[in-house]
Amino acid sequence: MLKVSHLTKKFGELVAVNDLSFHVAKGQIYGIAGPNGAGKSTIYNLITGNYPFEGEILFDGESIAGMPPHKIAQMGISRTFQVPETFSSLTVEQSVAVGAHFGDTDLFDPQRVDEIITFLELEADRDRMAGELNLLGNKKVMIGAALGTRPKMLLLDEPMAGSNANEIRALMALIRRINVEMGVTIIIIEHFMKVLTELTDKLLIIESGTRIAEGDPDKVTSDPEVIECYLGQAYAEDN
Amino acid sequence: MSATMALVFGIMAVLPLFVGGTAHMMHILIMCLIWAVVASCWDLIMGFAGIFSFGQVAFFVIGAYASAIFSIQLGIHPLAAMVLAGLVTAAAGVLVGLPCMRLKGAYIALVTFAVHMILEPFLKSGMGRALGTGGTRGILTIPPMELFGITFAADNKIAVFYAALALAVICSAIIMLVIRSSWGTAFLALKDSQDFAASLGVSAFKYKLAVFALTSFLTGLVGGFYAHYIGMLSTRLLGIDLFVMLMIMLVLGGIGQFPGAILGAIMTVIGNEMLAPLGAYRPLVLGALVVVLVLLLPDGIMGLLRSLVPHKVAEQVRQG
Ligand SMILES: Nc1ncnc2c1ncn2[C@@H]1O[C@H](COP(=O)(O)OP(=O)(O)OP(=O)(O)O)[C@@H](O)[C@H]1O
Ligand SMILES: [Mg+2]
Repeated sequence: MLKVSHLTKKFGELVAVNDLSFHVAKGQIYGIAGPNGAGKSTIYNLITGNYPFEGEILFDGESIAGMPPHKIAQMGISRTFQVPETFSSLTVEQSVAVGAHFGDTDLFDPQRVDEIITFLELEADRDRMAGELNLLGNKKVMIGAALGTRPKMLLLDEPMAGSNANEIRALMALIRRINVEMGVTIIIIEHFMKVLTELTDKLLIIESGTRIAEGDPDKVTSDPEVIECYLGQAYAEDN
Repeated sequence: MSATMALVFGIMAVLPLFVGGTAHMMHILIMCLIWAVVASCWDLIMGFAGIFSFGQVAFFVIGAYASAIFSIQLGIHPLAAMVLAGLVTAAAGVLVGLPCMRLKGAYIALVTFAVHMILEPFLKSGMGRALGTGGTRGILTIPPMELFGITFAADNKIAVFYAALALAVICSAIIMLVIRSSWGTAFLALKDSQDFAASLGVSAFKYKLAVFALTSFLTGLVGGFYAHYIGMLSTRLLGIDLFVMLMIMLVLGGIGQFPGAILGAIMTVIGNEMLAPLGAYRPLVLGALVVVLVLLLPDGIMGLLRSLVPHKVAEQVRQG
């Protein structure tokens, strides 16, 4: 579904993404991990059309090079942001409707907004201003707006950051349901290894924009090189 | 929200019954309506779309000059000239908007205000004179609008007033419709977070350029109306006074609080008349007023009115 080949992004001298290739199959939950500054969010920014890049990104066989972000959203790639974004002038319902209105190329269907709000258990908050919600609420609205676009693929950028154990469990269940019930292919960037090993079908570890390992999550997390440059010895002993 | 608008225009509509005999009072009311449209357009682009455009007075002047020149040089009917002037101003708006697509916040303010700064020397230049701007002297004999055997000129203020009222109602209704449509939602979404909005399929380019085109079209149209009413034009309109007045209208009415801008315009024009005895101190008082208003009434009169009926706020916001 998503085929990334020899992707490279330089910011001046800094090579944020370095000759990276990977492939995400339809229906998968694909994980990406790596230390801070490894280039994870940059990969998302490239897939969603925020910067020009070297290499190739194919979505359903079509190159996204040169496409503006809104076109890519309409093609079926949706995302969340590492630092939650909200529309402070809009209500929760309106925020979800933005995705349904502009990101879905079909005719606007208000019922879809209702379905998403019910799916995310946001009924009680639907008429509240989006900026008034707590962190978990913000994340849900951001996911809801993304789902409004009727995406084929959803990119989640550290969805668990700042969440407690209960919230993490709830978000994991939610992500699984989006994948299974809505049939959305998912890429997830995450620092919590437990989340990645439980949730993902395939895991990519990068450092300094370069791939270190890719494959079955359990195998990848026991790879000596991954332990050395990302997970650390303590993690290996704990597991 | 539209109830506020209907009430304000309804009250305006009956005022000539009481002050119709006083030419000066009628002039003030006409100016209230003209500035109400200009301020509302500014609110649409700045308050809703979040684009810090400071070219609003410039667009008004472009529309006024264009309409005057079209009617004088080409001899076309003032009404047609007004519409053409609106289109010319919209084209100017798009031209100014294009470089703004790549800029943010204060930089847009600089670029758009540069247009304001360039306009006066341009109108006075040889190039301007060749177009018929009259250079430093300005344009002195602009034909008034004539329709259905009525002449909408300065000596027939009641007729001009009702024409201005009709124009203001139409323009405000257009602005209200835009705000309440999905376009209004797109503007707010882009203002709050452009990256988030774009990731949801909102084309920043399309909607930002569209808001430049629409607001400059309406502003230019009203500029044309002003030109045919007053009958003469000079670059004095580009002085700082008018710019500050317009700013007060918007801040007083509440930025992003449409139709607050209409209330703000009416109160500012009338208030400015009442401050006339202050003479040279008037600009000083007006300047101080901007500061005080921003500090005391961040959401303007409209925000104040809304906070008095809190249960309705969510409803109104939802309606755009
Ligand atoms: N727009 C930009 N301009 C310049 N440098 C950038 C830009 N975006 C990212 N970078 C740099 O690229 C590198 C990779 O950043 P990125 O945000 O992709 O890391 P990350 O893996 O998501 O890290 P984190 O875990 O902290 O979120 C960093 O060194 C960052 O400073
Ligand atoms: Mg990141």
